[in-house]
Amino acid sequence: MAESITLTSVRKEFGDTVAMSDVSLTIEPGETLGIVGPSGCGKTTTLRTVAGFETPSQGRVLFGEDDVTTVPPEQRDVGLVFQSYALFENMTVRENVEFGLKMRDVPADERHARATRLLQMLDIGTMADRDPATLSGGQQQRVGLARALAIEPRVLLLDEPMTGLDAQLKTRLQEEIGSLLDSIDVTSLYVTHDQSEAMVMCDRIAVMNEGSLEQVGSPDELYERPANDFVAQFIGTANRLSGDATGTTLSVAGAEFTTTRDLPDGNVTVIARPEAFSLGDGPVNAEIVEQHYLGGHVRATAETDSGEELVLEIDPPSMPTTSSIQLDIDTTRLHVLSHER
Amino acid sequence: MSSRDTDTQSIVSGDVPSREPSRLGRLSARFGRRAVTVLIGLTIAFLIVPVVFTFAASFFENLTGILPSGGLTLQNWKLALGIAESQGAQRGLGGFWTFVAPDILFVLTLPSGLEYVLRFPYDVTIQTPIPVALGFSVLLALLGVVVNLIVGVPIAYAVTRYTFPGRRLVNTFAILPIVPGIILGIAFLKTYPDLPSVIALVLGYSLLKIPYMVLAVQSSFESMDLRRIEESARSLGASWTTTFVRVIVPGAKQGIISGSIISWTLAAAEFNFSYIVYSRGPRPFSLFLFENISNNPFLRAAAAISIYFVIVVAVTALLNWVGENGFSVGGVQ
Repeated sequence: MAESITLTSVRKEFGDTVAMSDVSLTIEPGETLGIVGPSGCGKTTTLRTVAGFETPSQGRVLFGEDDVTTVPPEQRDVGLVFQSYALFENMTVRENVEFGLKMRDVPADERHARATRLLQMLDIGTMADRDPATLSGGQQQRVGLARALAIEPRVLLLDEPMTGLDAQLKTRLQEEIGSLLDSIDVTSLYVTHDQSEAMVMCDRIAVMNEGSLEQVGSPDELYERPANDFVAQFIGTANRLSGDATGTTLSVAGAEFTTTRDLPDGNVTVIARPEAFSLGDGPVNAEIVEQHYLGGHVRATAETDSGEELVLEIDPPSMPTTSSIQLDIDTTRLHVLSHER
Repeated sequence: MSSRDTDTQSIVSGDVPSREPSRLGRLSARFGRRAVTVLIGLTIAFLIVPVVFTFAASFFENLTGILPSGGLTLQNWKLALGIAESQGAQRGLGGFWTFVAPDILFVLTLPSGLEYVLRFPYDVTIQTPIPVALGFSVLLALLGVVVNLIVGVPIAYAVTRYTFPGRRLVNTFAILPIVPGIILGIAFLKTYPDLPSVIALVLGYSLLKIPYMVLAVQSSFESMDLRRIEESARSLGASWTTTFVRVIVPGAKQGIISGSIISWTLAAAEFNFSYIVYSRGPRPFSLFLFENISNNPFLRAAAAISIYFVIVVAVTALLNWVGENGFSVGGVQ
């Protein structure tokens, strides 16, 4: 049932500003694709282009096989969920959910039945006749989601839907809505600046920066094999080290390691996640300069003898008593960027 | 760790002097809150007593000094409303106000220079009982409110929702009550000498009072995430017009209600403009007050003012009721 959504070489300019340059992206049927990136990277413009509120300067937007590039938003059948909920305050929760169906002249009984089913599915069945303003943030966001899903949209667009919620509620809602999106057959586009939220909610993630796509892939691909420095820094914590490689010998952080794979000779950039380092005996000498206790681990910043700064995550019981430490590096967990950028 | 402890201490070291409130401070702690409450109460009483007094006095037969005396009566109200049995001098009003229907109803100047004039065949004098005339004049101000809504709500929306060249200018002109009624009145008379009073009054009221409407509605719009609400509605299949009528306007309900009440009340009380522009047709409210206040005993003036109060309360309640119940169009029944 669900359709794919395709952007082909979409470019969008606002005056002299290029918001999207040559973005080509396919969301597979039923998939939840996340777009992450810093503010101003073009992720919201991408969402608005799919919704029809922006018309691309170049390129096309396809829903399945249909070219919808010039179709106005009200005829695209897209469901929108916003950070600010944007609920209609003059209507009850039920009226909000039924609004789209009413616009489609769905008979009253069917509207009622569908709204009831959706509200129950989202666990707010008892609030149908309430005024949306009297609900909590999490409940309002569920109403927003129910309203968007009621029209059985060809694509569900979520624009930072959880940004305004407190951390605990966010975690719960992420899991709930994530499994809801998995269980229903709808193609979704999920825009957020929060990479960890995207990793929970999305099947694949597109990382955007300055109007272009940097990499599209599953959460583990992005984390373990980032295409470039930007992706490495944006997804998770990354230590960016520069090293020299000859065959299977990698010289990095003032020490030499033997790798299992052949490396491109010469100067390389290595991405080392905190878990690539282990404390204890090892060839890398470093000095802890800062530390924060975070419960599950201690986040420590250390400076190597070669002058590079490392972010480490250390198990609290194995936290050393002195600031001088020795580190070993698990070379299988290092990612060598193919080209220096 | 220990070094950090001493660091921390050095920052907050030294004695914090225990606070010794002054005499005044002690008094204010003890009586301050009560004093403010009493002061507010007195101020409100000072402002409200004349209103209550006037209203009450209008039901008495006489006034001795400043205190009403004699028995209770409805005579003053009847006089003001022109429904008293003939009591001699009623200043030629009788029980009626006399309206002269305009002999020229409409002048349309065509681009070719031709003038199309719609006339009454002859001057008609219409005698209208004063209570009916008051009803007309309530309607005059209400028509002004309607014009205000039609013009003011879109202006408030446009300046809140969009950025366009001249936005600030539009905003400033829409929310500044710049032109005094007397000046606008003379300008109207000079520019449209043949305009029937009814039309001139309605247009003038709306022009003079529109800032209050725009301000009230704008504050409602500003509390809404207009762009996203609009986009949600459109993504759900509503056209721009449907969105505006069913979602945006009802969302500003509170502002529209209060804007209507304010602009109606001010229009009904607008004297300067009415006095200058009025020539014939239904007489504006403020002139009713004027006629009853000038050259009349206080008690009759009091009755006229009380009638005004009653009408203001009634219209306010009406506008509020219409506002609270008139926006269900957007809902799904």
